[in-house]
Parts: sequence; C-alpha cells; structure tokens
Amino acid sequence: MLSGLANPRQAAVQLMNFGLILSTAFMMWKGISVITDSPSPIVVVLSGSMEPAFQRGDLLFLWNRNILAETSVGEIVVYNVKGKDIPIVHRIVRKFGKGPEAKLLTKGDNNVSDDTELYASGQDYLVRKDIIGYDDWLSPVLGRFDYSANIVLNRSVFAYIPFVGYVTILLSEHPWLKTVMLGLMGLVVVLQRE
Amino acid sequence: MYTSVVRLQNVFGFFTTVAFVVAAFIAASDFLTDRAPIVRTLKTTSVQVVRGRPHYYSSKKEEYAVINFSLDADLSSLFTWNTKQVFVYVSAEWPAADYAKTNATNEAVIWDTIITSPSADHLANIGPVAMKKLRKSAGGKSIDPNRGKLSLKNQRHKYKITHPSGKLAMTDNVTLRLHYNVQPWVGLLTWDQDVDYGYWKALKNGVSKRFKLPAIKEKKPASAGAR
Repeated sequence: MLSGLANPRQAAVQLMNFGLILSTAFMMWKGISVITDSPSPIVVVLSGSMEPAFQRGDLLFLWNRNILAETSVGEIVVYNVKGKDIPIVHRIVRKFGKGPEAKLLTKGDNNVSDDTELYASGQDYLVRKDIIGYDDWLSPVLGRFDYSANIVLNRSVFAYIPFVGYVTILLSEHPWLKTVMLGLMGLVVVLQRE
Repeated sequence: MYTSVVRLQNVFGFFTTVAFVVAAFIAASDFLTDRAPIVRTLKTTSVQVVRGRPHYYSSKKEEYAVINFSLDADLSSLFTWNTKQVFVYVSAEWPAADYAKTNATNEAVIWDTIITSPSADHLANIGPVAMKKLRKSAGGKSIDPNRGKLSLKNQRHKYKITHPSGKLAMTDNVTLRLHYNVQPWVGLLTWDQDVDYGYWKALKNGVSKRFKLPAIKEKKPASAGAR
C-alpha cells in the first residue's frame, strides 16, 4: 500500500489523480450552477420551519431561471437575510406586482407568522434579486468565487431527496470532521495504487 | 490490490448507485399515475375590509381584507405511494394598479392546509390527541382515498391580507384560486397546472367568480352619546 511513496513518479501521479478528482467535482458543481443559474444549486435543509415537507438534512435541488413563468405565490424559494449567512427555505405567500420589482412575502409552512420579522429592519418584502447565494461548506477550502457577483435571484425548489444531506449538517456543526474527512480522502487517494 | 479499504469503497459505491437508481425509478413513477383533481365549489361566503395595524407596535393603519369561503374539492388522486404531503392553499388575486399596461396582478394566500399522506402522518406538527386521530383515520392503509377530499363550509380565513399601499377597500375583480403543491418522498415538486400533461389533468374549476371588496367596515361608536 505504501509502495507508491517509494517511487516519486508514482507519488506524483497519485497526487495528480487526487487533484483531478477534486477539480472534476468542482467543475460538475459549477456546471450545474451555470445550468440552473444558481451559485449553490443544491442546498441542505437546516431548520424545521418547512416541516413536514422538509426535514433537517434533506437535499433540495434549485432552479433559478424563469423560462415559462414568473416566480409566484406557492413556490418554495431560498433566500438570504441581509447580513446573515444562513439560507432560508420558505414558501412565497404574497406577491404584489410583476417582474423584478414585485414585492414578495415568504412564510415557513411550520411557522405561525410570516417572515417579516426575519427580514432586515426596514425591509418589509423581498424582491426577486434580493436573494444572494450562500457559502456552501466547501467554499472555505476552494475559495470564494462568484459569490460576490450578486447575480443570484430567487431560487425555487424543484426536486427533493430526503436525508442525504445530513452529512453536511454534521460537517458544519462539527468543523473538525471536515478536516478529518478531507485528510482521509487525500490519504486514501495518495496511498491507493490504481 | 484488494485491500479492505477498496472493498469498503466498492460496497459503498454500489450501495449509493443502487439507492439513486431506485430513487429515480420511484420519482419517475409519479408520471405514470393519473391525477384528476377537481373543484366542485369555490366561493366566498363573507367579505369584509377592516382597518388594522400590521403588528402590535405599529402606528400605521392599513386596510385588511377578511375573506371567508366555502370549498368543496377532491384532490385525492394526488396521493400515491410517493406522496409525502399535499400543501393546499387558497389565494385571492386582484389586478394591480397598472394592470391595463402591464397585466400585473397581486396575489395573497388567505388560507392553507397541509394534508399528509398516511406514510408521513408521524411528521405532522399536531398534538398527541390529534395525531392519534389522524393515524387512526387512515386505518393502517398507506394510501387513504379520503385524504384530499375537502369539504369546507364558510371556512374562516387564516390570513388577513393587505397591500403595500395600505389601500384595499372597493377593489374590484378579485378572484379566489385553489392551488396545491405535491411534495414527494423523492423526486419533483409539482404544483397545480392549467393544462393537461400526459396522465396529469389540469385543475378544473379552481377559480371563483369575480367579486368586489366592500367599503371599510366602520367600528361601532363606543357610546352613542360621546359627543
């Protein structure tokens, strides 16, 4: 197993392999981003405010393009509150007007009242472009790329897989797990002979 | 070559592949089941406009529409083995001020409910007594044909609605609309549709007659001889 280290050429190849795997994953992620027009096209549900529809750890696939219709009442969208880095997944319950200036109000299915209190002070409604992409757990490792571009609009949830994302909740609640996991991945790739 | 790490990796890889393929098949099965939701009645029973404040500490007075309604609908065909819940909501829609130019409308939810599939009953956010009743109502079946049958007479609104301008009285051409959102266990989220797609029929009759909001209902004077 350690024979790879004995031969520097072999070690270099394995290092390249590791880099290739990382960059492939990164390119796929960014590819989906471009297709869906969303900086983080897959998000993990972090709170129970949309229960019983979404539980913590469920995986949501987002679609941020309005090809056939505008984002409207009843759709579930992801937005960030100004100044906070927590993405919120809630349902639109009111929409006033049309187009990018339409005023939107959201509410969690499991919450008693709407989100007015969650919004920044002085902000009574969201608009389509209010919503900013959020830092996924890999970004501290891979660096911030387009998150500042502010191109992100309202992202509607269109598909759903239960529970798969619970790993990322574990990872964000216990940051040392991230280091351990990346370290293990690196070790396995470097030490493994293909 | 065949170390236990590699074996573990292979087993895990195979497991995830199989899990995702099975999930994809389950998600695809949604498209092969019939959906024929119908609304028999959707009409307002009482409409009022009152003045109020957005929250306790606000000094701003706004006009709120208070709309109660009757609804008779059969959404039971939306419940399949992959249905987790159906979110049903009734919204009021009315033309925006610049409707003639832009076709823009305003829409606000006045009432909603979550109908869980029997397989998701344990997730519902209700008290223990209601939970027991809910689970009993399915009678151990995984698909209960009675779920999704709504028969509401003079249902009280859940949300009073307003407009950012604070003005709502005398608004004309308001309609109520029934919508639903089907939440699967795995797969695509779907909403009510205006046209048929394959096995899925459009929601019929989901819009009420047009109505007009009345003038503001003044509060009765506290005492007749105040002046």
